[in-house]
Amino acid sequence: MTTMATVAAALGTAEGAVRVGQVGELRLDADAAALPGLADQVMRGLDGRLMTLFASEEGDRFLLHHVYSLPALRTFLHIAAPVERDRPAFPSIAASHPVANWFEREVMDFFGLEPVDHPNPERVALHEDWPDGAWALRKDFPADAVVPRVTGEFHPFRPVTGEGVFQVPVGPVHAGVIEPGHFRFGVAGEPVLYLQLRLFYVHKGTEKRFERLPWRHGIFLAESISGDTAVGHALAYAHALERLAGVTVPARARAVRVVLLELERMYNHVADIGAIATDVAFTIPASRAQVLREGLVRLQDRLFGTRLLRGTIAPGGVRRDVTPESRDLLLAHLPVFEKNFADLITLLIDSGTFTDRVDTTGILTNQAARDLGIVGIAARASGIDSDFRRDHPHDAYEGLRFEVPVEDGGDVRARLMVRAREVEQSLLILRQVLDALPDTPLAASMPAELPARASALGWVEAWRGPCTHWVATNERGEVTRVKITDPSFINWPGLALAVPGNIIPDFPVINKSFNLSYSGNDR
Amino acid sequence: MFRLIAKSLKTGSLTEASPFAARASFGFPVVDFSRCTACEACARACPTGAIQTAMPEPGRKTLTVSYAACIQCRACVTECPEGAVSVSGEIDVASYSRDQLARTGVFDVARDTGHATFTHVEVVPGPGLSESAERLRERIRGRLGRSLHVRQVDAGSCNGCELEIAATTNPLYDMERFGIHLVASPRHADVLLVTGPVTRNMEIALRRTYDAAPDPRIVVAVGACGCSGGIFGEGTYAAIGGVDRVVPVDVYIPGCPPRPQAILNGLLVAMGVREARISA
Repeated sequence: MTTMATVAAALGTAEGAVRVGQVGELRLDADAAALPGLADQVMRGLDGRLMTLFASEEGDRFLLHHVYSLPALRTFLHIAAPVERDRPAFPSIAASHPVANWFEREVMDFFGLEPVDHPNPERVALHEDWPDGAWALRKDFPADAVVPRVTGEFHPFRPVTGEGVFQVPVGPVHAGVIEPGHFRFGVAGEPVLYLQLRLFYVHKGTEKRFERLPWRHGIFLAESISGDTAVGHALAYAHALERLAGVTVPARARAVRVVLLELERMYNHVADIGAIATDVAFTIPASRAQVLREGLVRLQDRLFGTRLLRGTIAPGGVRRDVTPESRDLLLAHLPVFEKNFADLITLLIDSGTFTDRVDTTGILTNQAARDLGIVGIAARASGIDSDFRRDHPHDAYEGLRFEVPVEDGGDVRARLMVRAREVEQSLLILRQVLDALPDTPLAASMPAELPARASALGWVEAWRGPCTHWVATNERGEVTRVKITDPSFINWPGLALAVPGNIIPDFPVINKSFNLSYSGNDR
Repeated sequence: MFRLIAKSLKTGSLTEASPFAARASFGFPVVDFSRCTACEACARACPTGAIQTAMPEPGRKTLTVSYAACIQCRACVTECPEGAVSVSGEIDVASYSRDQLARTGVFDVARDTGHATFTHVEVVPGPGLSESAERLRERIRGRLGRSLHVRQVDAGSCNGCELEIAATTNPLYDMERFGIHLVASPRHADVLLVTGPVTRNMEIALRRTYDAAPDPRIVVAVGACGCSGGIFGEGTYAAIGGVDRVVPVDVYIPGCPPRPQAILNGLLVAMGVREARISA
């Protein structure tokens, strides 16, 4: 049975209804009313995982999109349903599939489409001083609109009652060098009863901005979606453009992209491991991790002329090569790094005072992670075996040998160990790639114009988790909609479930063990 | 414990004695106006509008390169048909105003052929670098001494600048040896180190943070976005733009993101210890 027929059979739709959208992406057009039923069947019958949910405006109506990963079939399933302008509402799936919760509320905030039967239809992205009826991602909303501030009701936090129970508000400006967000803790003494989040302080209108930039310039905007994931997001955007244009990326570019992506993974993982040590006041390994991270970043600077790997990805290929000299430099650096990294991990897990702080701290249970559709490191630390590099291979990952480390603890230690083991796998991947760099051009030429009225999905397993971009063009071949999904957007509610039951002083280390992006979430 | 101590003794100090001695592999674009034909290829290639052309009067054309918005993507370098754009290796670029980061070449345009001939570099009106340096020293005279307490405010950043600000505290750069200390509250701060673009949703928090800091509160804007809005632009529904659109800025540190050395330099400029410069 073909993949298409398998999917059609599982969904009970007519054969032929499921078609190939782009390579690795099946499309199904449905009625909005059918979306909840389809969601149940995809998630239960096909082990699908919702990767993104969004709206777009198509002429006189809207489309609501559900995009699922079907790892067993190695394909994405993209279901789109029309929503008419005079009945701006769609059926919610959030009550049975909590992963859709924030996605649907964001559609409400930016498109003014109502998720019917959503269990908590409050604003998620818009702050209280944004007026009703101004929907920023609709086409009739100008990107440079001056929207007056109104007096609205501050984000409704759960009330606290009972003797000795109180709320602790934190942020948006924090005490450390981190991004802004507001946390509201309900506490009874030190133990946290619950945590609520209020984000979108750094909403920069990025998706709308894409619609104004020429698509070639969009790659630089993609690099700034989340500064620590410059390669991941630029690559996801480039993938979408390449699928749109039907361009095949040359083998050497695919290999160099893997090098860039794994370097990004390594420098972030090392930095995070150091930051976890910092947050439990274990300064020696923290400093060692910082030195290791700086070593990698400087190496990147020498190899590619950019510390944080910006400007390396181009639509169609890469803008920087791994020259024979760079290859030798990298191969010389890796063994030294490997030894020091192993020492760092030993230093940490051999120390009882450290493991005391990270063991059983901030547990995200497997069930909770499944219910919330958690992705990336956080999912793999809670026993969910999922990784796009293996399940939906992109770039040169198809031909590489590597493992996907999975831990069961769901605690800070598990998230630390997933990182540690992923770094080992990255070293393995880098050596394989550097041993056999294909000799091809660095980039395929992209057409002057993208095809008109087309769309495609781009996906990448970046260091934090999967980044997906959906890019659509209008009748002139200009980019008319870019939907960005950073793994943080899916994972923030996971943090809110991992914190209760812990004490407030452990919040920083739990937060750091997830290390979610505010900018990637807020865009 | 003994192993830890032994290992630390063996490692010794990793801090670099002179962080500003290094050259940037990838600095800012420098236009050799004598070879430039004002063809605008660089301006079209620039994703952030850091390179702008204008026709102030018939027969005259200007080309302005501003480091305030430059994200160091090097598109102008590769797109210039004359090879007139090179990359500087300056590692410690900073200024006291947005204008000081811009350089404008003026061209005469022949009416018949449209051929542009470079005539001179236009001097930006307003104070020059050393005059601004003197003014800043005047403001902080005797009040900051040789230590600086810094409160960092992310007012909309992508987090790239924060990564490099955090790097300035690592053992190699060791910011604290210069007397610079990151503090937890604006009430303890001499300097606000602000990254942008300032978003609509952070504007009020930034103003409140500014109001909470005691005089003379020095504001240092970090990064292309903090200096100018960068790739996110200015005046959109969500992004107000550069930090100076919301609070007065004393020192600008351009770059996307600026290197740790550049951030360190910018803070020393804010202290009056070093003087801002654009190029050697």
